[in-house]
Amino acid sequence: MKLLKLISWQYVRKHLLRTVLTMAGIVLGVAVFVGMHTANQSVLSAFTKTVDRIAGATQLQITAGESGFDEEVLERVQALPNVRVAVPVIEAVVNLNLKSQGNILVLAVDMTGDRGLRDYDLEAGDDTVIEDPLVFIAQPDSLMVTREFATANGLVSNSKITLAAMDGPRTFTVRGIMKSSGLTSAFGGNLAIMDIYAAQKVFGRGRKFDRIDLAATEGTALPELQRQLSAMLGAGFEVESPSARGKQFEALSSVYGMLANITSLFALFIGMFIIYNSFAIAVTQRRSEIGIVRALGATRGQIQALFLTESAILGLIGASFGVLFGLLIASGISASLGNFLGEIYGVAQRAAEVSSDPRLLLGALLMGVVTSVIAAWIPARAAAGVDPVQALQKGRYQQLTKGENRLRRQIASALFVIVFFCLFFAQNRIIFYSGYFLTVIAGLLLVPTVALWLSKAIRPAMKFLRPVEGTLAADSLIQSPRRTSGAVSALALSIALVISLGGMARASYNSINEWMRIALNPDMFLTATQNITDRSFRFPASFGDEIRSIPGIRRMQLVRNARLLYKGNPVMVVSVEIDKLAAESFLPSVAGDSATMYRLAAEGKGFLISDNFAQLYGVKYNELLSINTPNGTLTLPVAGIVRDYSDQKGTVLIDRKMFIRYWNDDTINIVRLYLEKNITVPEMRARIEEKLAGKTRLFILTNQDLKSYIIKITDQWFGLTYIQLAVAVLVAILGIINTLTVSITDRRRELGVLQAVGALRGQVRRTIWLEAIAIGIIGLAIGLAFGCVALYYSLEMAARDISGLRLDYTYPWSMAAGLFPVIVGAALIAALGPAEQAVRGNLVEALEYE
Amino acid sequence: MSKLTVIVFAAAIFAQDAKQIVEESQRRHRSTTQQYEGVLQVFNPNGRNSEKRWQFFRSGNYGESRALLRFVSPREVKGVALLIVNHADRASDQWMWLPELQRDRRVALQDRSTRFFGTDFSYEDLEERDVNQSDFKLIGEEAADGQACWKIESTPKKGKSSQYNRVVMWIRKDIYFPVQYEMYAKNQLVRTLHYKRVEKVSGVWSALEMEMFDVKRKGRTVLKSDKLRYNIPLKDELFTLQSLRRGE
Repeated sequence: MKLLKLISWQYVRKHLLRTVLTMAGIVLGVAVFVGMHTANQSVLSAFTKTVDRIAGATQLQITAGESGFDEEVLERVQALPNVRVAVPVIEAVVNLNLKSQGNILVLAVDMTGDRGLRDYDLEAGDDTVIEDPLVFIAQPDSLMVTREFATANGLVSNSKITLAAMDGPRTFTVRGIMKSSGLTSAFGGNLAIMDIYAAQKVFGRGRKFDRIDLAATEGTALPELQRQLSAMLGAGFEVESPSARGKQFEALSSVYGMLANITSLFALFIGMFIIYNSFAIAVTQRRSEIGIVRALGATRGQIQALFLTESAILGLIGASFGVLFGLLIASGISASLGNFLGEIYGVAQRAAEVSSDPRLLLGALLMGVVTSVIAAWIPARAAAGVDPVQALQKGRYQQLTKGENRLRRQIASALFVIVFFCLFFAQNRIIFYSGYFLTVIAGLLLVPTVALWLSKAIRPAMKFLRPVEGTLAADSLIQSPRRTSGAVSALALSIALVISLGGMARASYNSINEWMRIALNPDMFLTATQNITDRSFRFPASFGDEIRSIPGIRRMQLVRNARLLYKGNPVMVVSVEIDKLAAESFLPSVAGDSATMYRLAAEGKGFLISDNFAQLYGVKYNELLSINTPNGTLTLPVAGIVRDYSDQKGTVLIDRKMFIRYWNDDTINIVRLYLEKNITVPEMRARIEEKLAGKTRLFILTNQDLKSYIIKITDQWFGLTYIQLAVAVLVAILGIINTLTVSITDRRRELGVLQAVGALRGQVRRTIWLEAIAIGIIGLAIGLAFGCVALYYSLEMAARDISGLRLDYTYPWSMAAGLFPVIVGAALIAALGPAEQAVRGNLVEALEYE
Repeated sequence: MSKLTVIVFAAAIFAQDAKQIVEESQRRHRSTTQQYEGVLQVFNPNGRNSEKRWQFFRSGNYGESRALLRFVSPREVKGVALLIVNHADRASDQWMWLPELQRDRRVALQDRSTRFFGTDFSYEDLEERDVNQSDFKLIGEEAADGQACWKIESTPKKGKSSQYNRVVMWIRKDIYFPVQYEMYAKNQLVRTLHYKRVEKVSGVWSALEMEMFDVKRKGRTVLKSDKLRYNIPLKDELFTLQSLRRGE
């Protein structure tokens, strides 16, 4: 403690700016980790709270995926003696078109029995309807809203709200306002209750329910009842506690969680190099102090402990700021994440408040401390190894020895050999990730050597550009590779990340564009929802007949997609008239002959699965695949594997006839229209509107509309990943600033001598600027090379563990070219402060400095 | 014969008597059919009251009867109808017809302790319970509304579910007519039911007014019967889902 106060504190006070910069990596890394995970947790927690609060006294919930099930299932469940109460539920997220209110969750229940599970605590209402479920049921336009929602929208009892129902816009009457309670805080307070039978009509559900909520009689063992219900209903039904729904939602947002981990780990990894660099320099600078303390009797262990404690404190302070900053940004991220999940998966969720998990925050603090300690480990060991006699002799700086460099090269070569063999056994996940990890380590070990080579290589060019300043800057880099290598490594890693993400984005856009060209070739699409991923509203089967009767349609394909559980994973089942689909285009085949696979699928003799489904769940061509349906398990061979980007969790394509048969569901999500040659899209739009305007809820999308929408979603997805880029580049720039600050302090005497012998301030400035630019260029060159490998591993990771989508390897050359001015500019900006610091110092003090 | 045996034997006679009294009460007031026009007034503790009117038709033996209840006012509920099919051995089945939706729906009656459409009656209170579903015990004699009554306690038989662990009823000795009930859940008084304006209609003793008081929420519901008639010809078809759907 004494040593800490005597040596470390004095040093920190003297180099406050550098200390702050050193911490910046940790602050950012931890902030991103906390911000992104807290946002994810907030959305998840909001979902879980909504589920919990809506669940009320519900002990078990019965579902059959998104397709719902027939009303008769309810009677079978109610007939069980152990079931105290079982009530049907329909849940839908609806856009109310009310200013600044966005979506509202409509919970449709059977009020006659539902009060046994949920408490609808009304506080206002017409005299004749107060607490009167009979009027509520008798009038299908009845709606109950929360006090919060009513206040926000100026609603009182008997106020009218217009909902876009399946049969056109419909006016609903507020017949109850619920007091603030657990239930009303579900979905951020944007909750409305309506009668379930009215909801069947409004949402086009036919005579189906989404879910049954139930409570058991007193003394019933829930697991036993769960088994009994599962056995009675069959494999197509899920019987779970309400909390299990949170797990499904979690599965959907898991990709985002993984992204958050990658981003923060990368930021911390880069931050680690900055800390390493700072500590390495600090040890060099404080050699004489270390020597004195050692001469006075301090042990090697005490010196090492001193530096490690210093780094731990630094890590703790940095991580604490990171946690605070992370919590600040979490609110903004959670709002966009909520919308994003709604857009991609059709499961909109409002996160009204940020929910932070103490374990996450503690973990983040620990992560910051551990990162800092690891980064300081080698410099601390070097400090402990300082010889007191040598340390007290002026001018004996430690340099990176040739032997040290050679050893690094040898280790790197050995690692590359191991990595090469890992590629042959990359099917194994552990070997694959080990290969990636070893590649990074080997690359980083080579950085000092390559940086030195590159410094020497660019020296002539720098000398040519600015004979004095260029030479001084290049020599500074060549003479102190240890000082530079940390910043170069950090920058190279950032660039590699940028390249891998850029490559992924490019490959994704290329693949999605190609897929859209083939799969989304109809002229028009008709949907019942504004958002194509939302399936709250569906057309009845008769809608197809109405459309068919409109002249000018060459071909029509009816689509019904629903998210279902496959081995606990929420996958997408797309039912479509496969013969009609095949008549227009084949999705690119990954396994199986296109004509045969489409024929078998159309005959109901096989499934078509997407490539990512096959990847994520290890399903192979021709294997038997079992999907649970409300009418039992449907087992068919995989007739073919196709390239399909419909869903990140994987897609199973089956013929519409099979879906109707096994799911008892003939509703339609999307109608795909191919027009006759003699009719234009606007003409057809007019004909459809003329026939159906005001009769049904309808959204007409042109081919271009839909493609633009998909590109918008893709943009949103990569918008999230661009946060990674910003963080990585920011940390790297901080690294350059740190390195230059260290470099200036380090060379204070040298710069002082230069000025003393007549160097102009402008020359000193330019020297620093050129040094920064050189660091930027070297980091960029190494990063671009490293990016080639990182891109390969990123694509593999995406295919294996993130989305299962196989994307083509395309190096983003244009992005690489664009990075040159960005990095040079950033390096130059990073150098401005340190350069001024170099020329404004006291000359006498500088000449005294050692 | 030991003293204990005498006590047990006497208790058995008393128990038998209580059941016989209840059976006799049910037998005396039995009718093949029933029809009336009802007024249902709900007096909420917050002062906001409501009133509904309905037509009621009933046919069949007590405990196995069928009943049809059709609301005539207010406007919001006009045409809503409820078909109740009572069973001797289990809870009744109920269906509701909603004219606005043009569909019938089964009423989930699993949680029979739930309030009946915002009144102070629970669904269970509306059921006709067969005498064999409960055990009865004569616990004394006590006047109610100035009339001498038997005070009888009923408890659900083992395996028969009820929200009440006991119900105490007062049955007038002179006409075997129940005039007051106290319902207990977990030994706490939760509801009281008073039969008022007891008159003989078409030879059957009847209460033209019933008042249910919810002890916990302090609400009260009054059901008044008008144009009450018994043993009139009612077609069986009236008590079917088809008839319910037709809105007859």
